[in-house]
Amino acid sequence: MLGNTKRNGMAMVSVILAVLLLFTACSSNSNSNESGGSSGSESGQRVTLKIEVFDRGNSPAGSTITDNYLTRYVQENFGDPNNIDVEFVPVPRSEEVEKLNVLMASGSDVPDIVFTYDTNTFNRYASQGGLTDLAPLLEEHAPNLTAFLGEDILQYGLYEGTQYAVPAKRSQVGKYASFIRQDWLDKLGLDVPKTTEELYEVLKAFKEKDPGETGGQVIPLAMTVANAQYEPLIWSFIEPLTEEQSYTLTQTLGSNDYPTLLPGFKEALQFMNKLYNEGLMSRDFALDTDKKKLGEDVSSGKVGFFSEDDVNPFYENGMYATLQKNVPGATLAAVDVYLNPEGKYAKPMYNPNGMYIMVPKSSNRAVEAIKYLEWMATDDHLFHMQNGVEGENYTMVDDVPVAMENQTEEALNRLYNSGDMAIISNGKQLGSEELNLRARAMQFPKEYQDIVAIAQELANTDLIEPVVLSRPIDAQTKYGTTLQEKFKEMLVKTTMAKPDQFDNVYETMMKDYMASGGQAILDERTAVYQEMQSK
Amino acid sequence: MSSKVYFRRYWQLYALVMLPLAFFIIFKYGPMYGIQIAFKDFNFFQGIQGSEWIGFEAFREVFGMRDFYLTLRNTLMLNFLDLVVSFPAPIILAILLYEMRTVWFKKLSQTILYIPHFISWVIIGGIAAQVFGTQSGMINNVITSLGYEAIPFLTEKNIWLVTYLLIGVWQSAGWGTIIYLAALTGINRELFEAASIDGAGRMKRIWHITLPGLKPTIVMLLIINLGHLITIGFDRPYVIGNLAVREYSDVLSTFVYRIGLQSGQYTLATVVGLFQAVVGLVMVLSANYISKKLTDEGIM
Repeated sequence: MLGNTKRNGMAMVSVILAVLLLFTACSSNSNSNESGGSSGSESGQRVTLKIEVFDRGNSPAGSTITDNYLTRYVQENFGDPNNIDVEFVPVPRSEEVEKLNVLMASGSDVPDIVFTYDTNTFNRYASQGGLTDLAPLLEEHAPNLTAFLGEDILQYGLYEGTQYAVPAKRSQVGKYASFIRQDWLDKLGLDVPKTTEELYEVLKAFKEKDPGETGGQVIPLAMTVANAQYEPLIWSFIEPLTEEQSYTLTQTLGSNDYPTLLPGFKEALQFMNKLYNEGLMSRDFALDTDKKKLGEDVSSGKVGFFSEDDVNPFYENGMYATLQKNVPGATLAAVDVYLNPEGKYAKPMYNPNGMYIMVPKSSNRAVEAIKYLEWMATDDHLFHMQNGVEGENYTMVDDVPVAMENQTEEALNRLYNSGDMAIISNGKQLGSEELNLRARAMQFPKEYQDIVAIAQELANTDLIEPVVLSRPIDAQTKYGTTLQEKFKEMLVKTTMAKPDQFDNVYETMMKDYMASGGQAILDERTAVYQEMQSK
Repeated sequence: MSSKVYFRRYWQLYALVMLPLAFFIIFKYGPMYGIQIAFKDFNFFQGIQGSEWIGFEAFREVFGMRDFYLTLRNTLMLNFLDLVVSFPAPIILAILLYEMRTVWFKKLSQTILYIPHFISWVIIGGIAAQVFGTQSGMINNVITSLGYEAIPFLTEKNIWLVTYLLIGVWQSAGWGTIIYLAALTGINRELFEAASIDGAGRMKRIWHITLPGLKPTIVMLLIINLGHLITIGFDRPYVIGNLAVREYSDVLSTFVYRIGLQSGQYTLATVVGLFQAVVGLVMVLSANYISKKLTDEGIM
């Protein structure tokens, strides 16, 4: 009898377990709609505003990406006075779009404020009707924000005439600069190259004479498959375009214009092919998608010349600092060498807008969301989020906040995620581009501020403006990601082909590119151009 | 005994089976609801219910994509080569381990062989770049310092294929021996003694006793593997592959990732997933059928 009850007991336990399992699995769906209901702060009820935040996995000890100095600053200065609980939803920076797609598809778990840098993603959400029209809310609740961004920036958030996004404002639009090992040039008695041909001669000298004594490991030109390395080279080969050509032949994939169909593109690839086959370029550049190898090679003193985001090499303990530690006497010079057929150092620039800030349609907190952005644009909140506390983080020098040299650990940790929290702006906003650039240079270690200033100037020279069409191109939204892959594959395959097979490979890759959506984009853009002309 | 009485007497057993049953219903059958996405113009703001039916249009679109055929071919090719190269490896290893007589050495080698299985592909990818890189990889550093031309292990498609396969063997062979070693413990030791008394050498014993003892396990695993011929893990080709060898390294799973998660075209991604599932099912069933005909062994 006793044995029997015991056995029954066991059975009960297993039944309960099974039932529990069923319930937990089902209940995860049901509690998600609770957050709906009344629209919060006006009725005096405390509400929750959920805001996306990029997680770069760099939170210092004592902070997390959802609980740190800036999140507390937001809660105390925006949340508490407005009776709002601000909750931050982390999204890994490296898989921003993928994670956002999943969040959006989940419907109810999606944050009230989301954002992306990817134009195609914005267009897709807008075209599928997933976003809130923000124009009336901006008008009613956000005079400061509207003034801060201005008409020019706001128009980037329009989708077929509706304000589906608030675009962030960039403090400056320069992208790329190139750098050369000045000490190598000096050692070989060479001048700084001023044209692409001169660069080629210098690269050859770097390879043959190995001034860095790398023991045959020298990489005269460092290349990767990231935009910053190949774009300056390729765009300098593009010939002058008519208005029609630039509207119809440019392909906008993601947030960048791609030159696949532009005259001169093939010559650019041919030049890359020549550099590669003569051993003047990184052999494994196809593997370097995240510029990690580039960083290693530059810092270990193997690289003679490379292009990069203008200020990237100069961070504290960054590429240049490590290089100078590893190779005493190594110096970089910022240079412009890629001369285009017009005699300009043409290179792409950023759109004047930064990321697209959006409010999903399913959100009940659209008003609070806009109020949050408005709050950030009001008084000195943005300034505080970007610069911290005066006397602890920065001091004012000639109207520019300059980071202090020996900040306390606590002060330093305040601003580690500042760029990702101050979402309405990319870079520091001080009222004019000149001040913005100066402030940007001031963020870098003292010894590098001069070269940063030069690099920034080069990055802002002879810019190629992004091509803006009157309406979004569906084919670009649809094929964008695939074609970006195809473009990079074309770059890699044509560059690595044997010189006598170059034409063959180029033709094959081009055919594949066109068949995978390139033709569809071309047709649609041509149609839109004709529309624009007939108006 | 009537089924009612039977059920009353053994209801505890039925209760126990509830648990795995619930698992399968929730995690395997439940998600099948989403299959209808393949037949709808899925708009994720309106959900599955709200999206419109489009029949087989998405299938037509997928079957018209060049990348679909390329990735399908690569999936089959990589899996088939893997079957040829990686499938026999654990069998051979298991027999080698089984024949070892020094216990501590056997245990040690087993542990060493298992370790790669626990390293994530992302890390293996990093190691691979360090070891096989053309310009600064360990192996090529040796080769070039001896005055030979560097071998593009990762960037020439045919050589990459070999690298890919060997990394696979390195990663999985040790772990794969477990199931064979388990099967080997089931072989009656007396058979070996009898055979050696009859004058059979080591090779003869392996051929006539060990291998036949393993046959059911080998056939079972082979059938399971054939069913997986059309599905391929995401990590390995994605991590080991690169732009220079995309012609071989782009497979269905990376294709689905690109059009589904990255481009947000869930309908197309679901179509590919469904296609894989159907073909996989057909393959398992036919492999099982053939195996039953040929060897009388099967899994169903």
